[in-house]
Amino acid sequence: MTTAVSISGVSIGFGPVTVIDDLSLDVPASTTFGVVGESGSGKTTLLRAALGLQDVRRGEIRLMGERFGGSLAETRRRARVIQPIFQDPAAALSPRCRIGVLMDEVAKVLGEPRDALRQRLDEILRRLGLPRAILDKYPHQISGGQARRAAIARALLMRPRILAADEPTAGLDVSVQGELLNLLQELRRTEEITLLIITHNLAVVRLIADRVAVMQSGRIVEQGEANAVFARPQHAYTRELLNSWPATS
Amino acid sequence: MKAVAADISDKPSPARWRRIWRDRNGRLGLLFMGLVLLLALSGLILGADPNRIDIPQRLAAPSLAHWLGTDNLGRDLTARISAGTRSALTLALLIVAASAFLGAVIGTAAGLFGRWLDWIVTAIFDTLSAFPALILAFSLVALYGTGRQTFVILAILIFLPQFGRLARARAQALRHQSFVEAERLLGVHPMVIVLRHILPNIAGPLIVLAGMNIPVVITFEAGLSFLGLGVQPPASSLGTLIKDGFIYMSESWWPTIGAAGTLALATLGSTLLAETFRDILDPKSATDVEGRA
Repeated sequence: MTTAVSISGVSIGFGPVTVIDDLSLDVPASTTFGVVGESGSGKTTLLRAALGLQDVRRGEIRLMGERFGGSLAETRRRARVIQPIFQDPAAALSPRCRIGVLMDEVAKVLGEPRDALRQRLDEILRRLGLPRAILDKYPHQISGGQARRAAIARALLMRPRILAADEPTAGLDVSVQGELLNLLQELRRTEEITLLIITHNLAVVRLIADRVAVMQSGRIVEQGEANAVFARPQHAYTRELLNSWPATS
Repeated sequence: MKAVAADISDKPSPARWRRIWRDRNGRLGLLFMGLVLLLALSGLILGADPNRIDIPQRLAAPSLAHWLGTDNLGRDLTARISAGTRSALTLALLIVAASAFLGAVIGTAAGLFGRWLDWIVTAIFDTLSAFPALILAFSLVALYGTGRQTFVILAILIFLPQFGRLARARAQALRHQSFVEAERLLGVHPMVIVLRHILPNIAGPLIVLAGMNIPVVITFEAGLSFLGLGVQPPASSLGTLIKDGFIYMSESWWPTIGAAGTLALATLGSTLLAETFRDILDPKSATDVEGRA
């Protein structure tokens, strides 16, 4: 099976503090992979490193087998491989630009004719259940759920091989959470993308992840098939997380 | 498809600019600045000589011949205040625009790119701010002499760090915002990120600061003129007019009232307009502007 994200011996720190220590992880392509752990365990830092937003002290991160540098050309190459869905998608949409302008930027980055991009955009909006009128609105004029979908639409326009979602259900009510997770699962199947979910919400991972890695203090303490990990947790921290789940979910 | 493209363009619509008039503060600001501009142009329209001395008419009260009265040398105050206002507004706009532009460019670059550039820029801003304005003025005048050119350079050096620091702080805060990171991860060109996504989010506070600084520059120029370092006689400035009027206050208060009233109108007008511009440039506060109308 192809590896979508390959993390080998990565260490990340801020000043004297080591946040992630010698971490290795393989995310198989075309699967839904969940990374769980409590706040401060280093999940988001790991995601930021995979996206190229965070320097690593040691080790390497490969996406679809390739390493990427920091130049604009390399960033554009990486943008076609991985796209993020931020924890607060409304904050990920530039506040002084209409949604349509933000979508048009993708055409410029890809060098794709605007008409062709618009046709793809129409299809994506339809699939995500967004009205076309949303293109004329500013981010603050749409609901949180619509902003989340608009951010996903923009990410999908790049035709990425990997979608990396940081706490995708944070701040959503239960029914919208379910809709969003179903949507992400459907996208993974139909677009054959890899879905990397970073969350502290065990219910989310249990619902949609094929495989799961449990993080504690910057290390992976356990990983495997999601069903197996949830049914027979091997590490004490995983058991502790599962035991605390009914109280926190 | 063209219609759709027009629909989603991000250019400011005329309707957005009409909101200045719909807003109460905007209307007042426009009204005050309109009066100041009218006064500035009145001297040119009436064709009166601001430097024509007429001793028998000294310190005359307002009349049909001299709408705002005369000063201690019998010079027409309408013409002198008009010339002083033109000079003050021109200098203030030039200095504020140059300081804001240079400060925005330098501060944004320092805030976004950081490291050695930020260190150097911060050190220069700190050094400039550490000098008391008058000491800097004396130094520059000693080096380059008095005159408008020296005053413009001096004022830009004094006001630039304010704009630069504000732009730097805003750029630093925006640099790690999710929407800027999302643009970077999309591969959008850094220049487009700066022009489309960073500067519009910095512009609001800079415009307000610029508006607030216009009267400060006018009074700064007046202060330096008072010390003989700014506008040189016989040219008039609002500062010298207030000073001259103050000396003869016991004989006539018209010279002081005219110049000080103009300064007050310019101060209030530019401040109110600046605040309205800030609200209009921020789409989030558009509803607030309409609510105040």
